[in-house]
Amino acid sequence: MSKHSALNTFGRSGNPAFTRNFTSNDSTLASSERMTLDGAVNKTSILLVLCFLGAGVGWNMPVLSLPGGIIGFILGMVTIFRSPSKAGSTAPLYSLSQGIMLGGITMFAETMYPGIAIQALGLTFGILASLLFCYKSGIIKPTENFRLMIFSATAGIALLYLISFIMSFFGNSIGFIHSNGLMGIGFSVFVVGIAALNLVLDFDFIEEGADKGMPKYMEWYGAFSLMVTLIWLYIEILRLLMKLNSRR
Amino acid sequence: MSWNTIIFGGMFILSLFIFINLSKFKASKKQLDRPDRINRFGDRKPENDIKIIRDLDENK
Repeated sequence: MSKHSALNTFGRSGNPAFTRNFTSNDSTLASSERMTLDGAVNKTSILLVLCFLGAGVGWNMPVLSLPGGIIGFILGMVTIFRSPSKAGSTAPLYSLSQGIMLGGITMFAETMYPGIAIQALGLTFGILASLLFCYKSGIIKPTENFRLMIFSATAGIALLYLISFIMSFFGNSIGFIHSNGLMGIGFSVFVVGIAALNLVLDFDFIEEGADKGMPKYMEWYGAFSLMVTLIWLYIEILRLLMKLNSRR
Repeated sequence: MSWNTIIFGGMFILSLFIFINLSKFKASKKQLDRPDRINRFGDRKPENDIKIIRDLDENK
């Protein structure tokens, strides 16, 4: 029995991306078939380049934003729930299509508030680099309780967004999450914080995978999960900045 | 070029550089050698796999 009572009740994690058994049939891998830190970083760089290329397309053709977002969402779900081992082929397409969506959204935000795009980009990567430093140096130590807390908060936010989305079909909405009042800004700051702390879990996932010599495809899967969090963080920072700018 | 672009653009480039270079280093011992570390993949160790391969070769 675990010493954490919540873990005994709910299992190690409710997130299917974390509970999947990655260890089957891979106990006799050669070293060249194992996940490495370098490999995961190189794959993350490839996904970032593809995302920026997609953003260039989305910026010039904002009409492609919605299809890009939908395709990216489907590819993300397929990668998490159906075939993590095929992340090598789905993750690049995911990054490209999400990049197209981000390009369109950013162009829209930049038109409303000039200069906001570079602020969001700088802050997103600034948070990424500082949290990576905090993780590598051991300032932030992810534990099972930490993971449970971040997962619960993330699931709560996702549920709130889903309810708000469904309510929007009936002409209603959960007002405060989209407002530029103090509650709305406070909510956005909270969501940015949770998205940022998800990055720590991604770093730990990659570090542990490389440490335990997981199969090579896990490099793509680790890079993919980092991209998912990074894209979410960027969108939330952009939303926060838009709320702050609209108060001027 | 405005100050906004210089400051946040510089922050972006510097952070990207730090991310790509720092990621390639292993985390500190303080981070890795902890009893309360998250254990996603069980007690899998690459050294054990090498032992398994050696045992398989010896049994041939």
